[in-house]
Amino acid sequence: MHIDKYEEAMMNCRFCFMCRHLSTIGQVRCTEVDTPRIRAAMLYGLKTGTNSFDDSDFVDALYRQELSACCTHHCVNHYDENGLAIAARADVVEAGKAPEAVKKLAAKFAKSVGWSASGKGDVAYFLDETTASDKQVVAAAKKLFAAAKVTPKTITGGTIGKVLKVLGYLPEAKAAAEKFAAFLKAEGVKTLVVSNPAAFDALTKDYPEFGVKLPCKVFCFSGFLNQAKVKFTKKAGGLYYLADDFMRNYDGCGCPEKLLKTLKADLRPFGTNDEESYCCGEGAIVLDKLNPALVKALAEYVAARADDPKKDKIVVLSAYTKKCLKKYGKLNVVTMEELAASCL
Amino acid sequence: MKIKSDSYMFEMIRTELTDVVGEDYVDVKFADKFGHSIDYYWIPEMWHDRGRECPKPDFVVHPATTEEVARIMKIANQYKIPVVPWGGGSGSQGGALPIYNGIVLDMKRMNKIIKIDKEALTVTAQTGIITKHLEWGCNKEGLSTMHLPASIACSTIGGFLAHRGTGVLSTKYGKIEDMVMSLEVVTPTGEIIRTLPVPRHASGPDLTMMFLGSEGTLGVITEVTLKIHPQPEARKFRAYIFKDFHTAMQAGATLMRSRLGPCAMRLYDETETKTHVSKVFGIDLDKGAYLVFGFDGREKIVDLQMQYAREIMEKQFHGKDLGSKGGEWWWENKYKFFYPGYMFHVPQAFGTLDTVADFSHIENVYWAMKKVVNKEFPDARFIGHFSHWYDWGCMLYARFIFPGDKVPPNAEEAAALYNAVWDKAIRAAIREGGVINEHHGVGLKLGRYVKDLYGTAMPILEGLKAKLDPNGIMNPGKMGLPGCW
Repeated sequence: MHIDKYEEAMMNCRFCFMCRHLSTIGQVRCTEVDTPRIRAAMLYGLKTGTNSFDDSDFVDALYRQELSACCTHHCVNHYDENGLAIAARADVVEAGKAPEAVKKLAAKFAKSVGWSASGKGDVAYFLDETTASDKQVVAAAKKLFAAAKVTPKTITGGTIGKVLKVLGYLPEAKAAAEKFAAFLKAEGVKTLVVSNPAAFDALTKDYPEFGVKLPCKVFCFSGFLNQAKVKFTKKAGGLYYLADDFMRNYDGCGCPEKLLKTLKADLRPFGTNDEESYCCGEGAIVLDKLNPALVKALAEYVAARADDPKKDKIVVLSAYTKKCLKKYGKLNVVTMEELAASCL
Repeated sequence: MKIKSDSYMFEMIRTELTDVVGEDYVDVKFADKFGHSIDYYWIPEMWHDRGRECPKPDFVVHPATTEEVARIMKIANQYKIPVVPWGGGSGSQGGALPIYNGIVLDMKRMNKIIKIDKEALTVTAQTGIITKHLEWGCNKEGLSTMHLPASIACSTIGGFLAHRGTGVLSTKYGKIEDMVMSLEVVTPTGEIIRTLPVPRHASGPDLTMMFLGSEGTLGVITEVTLKIHPQPEARKFRAYIFKDFHTAMQAGATLMRSRLGPCAMRLYDETETKTHVSKVFGIDLDKGAYLVFGFDGREKIVDLQMQYAREIMEKQFHGKDLGSKGGEWWWENKYKFFYPGYMFHVPQAFGTLDTVADFSHIENVYWAMKKVVNKEFPDARFIGHFSHWYDWGCMLYARFIFPGDKVPPNAEEAAALYNAVWDKAIRAAIREGGVINEHHGVGLKLGRYVKDLYGTAMPILEGLKAKLDPNGIMNPGKMGLPGCW
């Protein structure tokens, strides 16, 4: 089973409570089943026969996880409970027990694999579907590329594999990764810039795990701006910074924080602490599609922790987070691209 | 519960519970019930490890208000259904396990900070709030509960109230019962009561104290007002290595008798210093017993307190000074001891023989327990530290550990071995003047010793229970009080 690769996490998390206070879904649902401890204990039950994937409630709990990785980040041993959950999802899929909603989504994304490029040159900007749907972010990115005196080739299209991996469809995810790498090679891309932290995580972490080599250097948008030496004339001023799960808890690259310094942002601490994820399910990529009620609850949880929800300016890293926090939390949110463009 | 889950009566009861809290907040699915079948008590962990089923609740109900709790209690009384309050579920004594099935009242939706009173320096909160969140809420205002136990991340404040929990700063700020101003409680029959608003009065016996430590057997604590404190200007630590545990104990007791008022103190015996403290700090402490203490408050006063304390440690007891860095190691790593890899874990068999006694008895308690474990259970290792110090004595956090390969694979045999250690060690502690226990509570694990402990006072406890809970539905079978079948 795929979960065997994560036996250490399973065996240690199953009786450990030390990240209970960070259990994002457990907190908004106020349940035990949505905690790393019980998820790991239930997975251990597969080994002893007390649990099985025939129990759809157990499978639902696995797909309810927000995959924020804040538990791993917090843990002194950094046990990869998210890796365990994704491995469990892969086992669920192989057992043919994936929920119908998951199957449909995965089929849709598997079909979407394919991209097109417009423009010339060896610098490319990958505009994933979520980012592409936010016109302000797209406009800001365009403005920033112009300021950097770069005219990138724009790549649009379907998934590059992340969502398929997260849903437990590992062979399909690997196939998408191989195809995207081949596409980049064929397009002669030497530098690839991405806005979506999930795409950045896929390209820099998942691809090496799959053994897929990219023909190019990959930059998150902040990283690109940091090295492009764009001149910013205005200060970003007072704001709250909510890093996406991928940049915050998955061994973040540090680029957004560096850019915020360049932009002379006066960062204020959001909420009551810097340990909680304050997420909307970015780690789970499509949690808003699988479980909109849960994403609403997550966004409301975040919004309830804002000092002044109407006035506070919050900067986030993904169009996904912006969308969720604006829609359900009614917060004043911009992405890093929008913030940087406003400082030109 | 005697009503089967496929009967129409089960559905009738579910309908009534749903009417109180809403459909989303009555869980009857296997996965949800499974989540409430294991706490941090070794027996259910081992049972699960061996692939055995643990008792599960019939209903997991998540109330959001005190009034909902009261209505649930009335329903439970009408049908005589056991009710077990559940906070973080991280208790080590089996106190929140639904051993008679019934309703688990998961309190975590009751997680609001109601008021921070900066005039009186108090905080009022619903008791389902995870204590770390309560502390963070106070910190945002520059204040602190000063209740900082190792389980702060996973336990609700209600859990700490229910079993009289203790934080690492207990020596100065007290145990949870010292921090409470007043409580709101739902009685087993569903009445909502409030105890007097201040803890110092001469208006009869103190009902607040009656509910504290009652472990859900006398009612459900739904709201609490706690004292809070400004964050100190300085908090400084220092550590010493003494030639042996006895000398370190004398040094620690002398510091307490000096009334210098440290905020925290810990003493690890030679074995735990060598095996555990060294590992957590990542340094070599091969010989002797490690003692750490600290002071907090205005910096000039802290420095003066530290100066006098150093004289005791160095001049009177010749401790080897590890400096402030040696003390900071402990403060920075105080919770690390409890993570997997540093904490014991199934398949090991382990238990904390938590006992408290005055300075005249505490060393005898330690030696009596150590002797009995070493003699009767040669496969087990005995380690101990003294973690909560008061003017009159301290708490012994003694532990026994069997390596996994010395624990029977058969669940019943493993449980029998485990219980035998407790029987011998706890009874030895009680004989030497120890009280079980200081901050973990009684629960299921220690219930059978309560009669020994209370002696002729036991009927008073039993009488209270019978009067407040005539149907015997509140957390039955815990604390040595009657079960319900």
